[in-house]
Amino acid sequence: MAEWVCFIVGTLFLLTGLVIFAIELYGAYRYDYVLNRMHMAAFGDTFGIGVSLLGLMIINGFHFSTLKMALIIIFLWCASPVSSHLIARLEAATNENLETHMEVEKK
Amino acid sequence: MSRKKTEQEYRKTFAFRFFRWLNAEEDRYLDKVEMHPQEPYVETEEDIRRRQREKNALLNKLYGRKKSKSVRYLELFYKGACIVFCGILIYLLLLTVSYLPPIGVADRPVNNEVSRRYIEEGLDETGAVNIVSGMILDYRAFDTLGESHVLFVATVTVLILLRADHKKKERSSAGEEMAYSLEEAEINDRNYEPKNDAILQMAACILVPIIIIFGIYVILNGHLGPGGGFSGGAIIGAGLILYLNAFGFQKTQRFFTEKTYKWVSFGSLSFYCIAKSYSFYTGANHLENIIPKGTPGAILSSGLILPLNIAVGLVVACTMYAFYVMFRKGGF
Repeated sequence: MAEWVCFIVGTLFLLTGLVIFAIELYGAYRYDYVLNRMHMAAFGDTFGIGVSLLGLMIINGFHFSTLKMALIIIFLWCASPVSSHLIARLEAATNENLETHMEVEKK
Repeated sequence: MSRKKTEQEYRKTFAFRFFRWLNAEEDRYLDKVEMHPQEPYVETEEDIRRRQREKNALLNKLYGRKKSKSVRYLELFYKGACIVFCGILIYLLLLTVSYLPPIGVADRPVNNEVSRRYIEEGLDETGAVNIVSGMILDYRAFDTLGESHVLFVATVTVLILLRADHKKKERSSAGEEMAYSLEEAEINDRNYEPKNDAILQMAACILVPIIIIFGIYVILNGHLGPGGGFSGGAIIGAGLILYLNAFGFQKTQRFFTEKTYKWVSFGSLSFYCIAKSYSFYTGANHLENIIPKGTPGAILSSGLILPLNIAVGLVVACTMYAFYVMFRKGGF
């Protein structure tokens, strides 16, 4: 019984992750501006992968590979927002017409 | 006693005219030929158009930009020949595929005595639990040596092509730290990139040690499980590149310079050469190999495979880092 509960909960998490990935893909092609697209990509990279791997961990049970998946989640949560931050920073530094896309706070 | 000619008589002689011509004292055409000063060159619209028309006509004639009949036929023939050739190639390849043995049959030619030997006796002969490691670093170590040298040669080629030699500026005063002025830095800003980013530096502080430790783990466990020198070296190289991105060249130059690259690569490759020469020599002459195999599964086992993995890993890590540095700045 407990195995079935684990399996169903894990599958639900996995399906949620898949839906999030679909939203990410749609958003990455739906928007034109780089910051919007970057937001969508980072959304999938952190939330989507986190939820998917959480589902896999629940299905897998307590095991050594579960720990590895947790490490993957931590690694991606460290790495992906930083790379998005760098892209955003590069865009803000190089784009001269930033005001046409958003409000820019004057310092 | 020579008779001296008067000026008027002398002017009529050949010698006078010859020396005048020799010294270019006289312009023979001045005041004799009708002369006009050159008008400034003014090109009318008509002239420009004519010139372009002539140029186009010449180009068309030379390069066939406006295609003549024979060229058009040739192109048609070329396209047709392409299609026919591709069709023949596809037919031949499909014909070859139809002769291939079906997948999953036990007596395929792939399942010959070579792979059987690797699988059955590899553990005894090499001492490596990971058969792939045993294969590439023991049975086929010569091949892996070539691959490592290919990496080294590729780095040398990139160095030849992309190296940008910065002129070493004479530092006039001891207190002057910056060798480049601000304007030069503005033009050549790759000397100073990346601009220090606190978030990236924090992430790098956390991630770089983990990445490098993981790479070392992969290298050291190459004979026990999946991994080995190539993959572990790539991981370490990625960690080094992340560190470089976060903290800039001034920090990495403290431990990784051109000299480091040179000696690490040279040391690894020559160690590989010498170690494998020894084992080939003893093997070919039926001498006893003094390197112990150890117990399979222990970290210090499988003879030469562990040190060779380390050598290959060092070469790969250095190569990745050197490639990145070369494409980014053109020097270490």
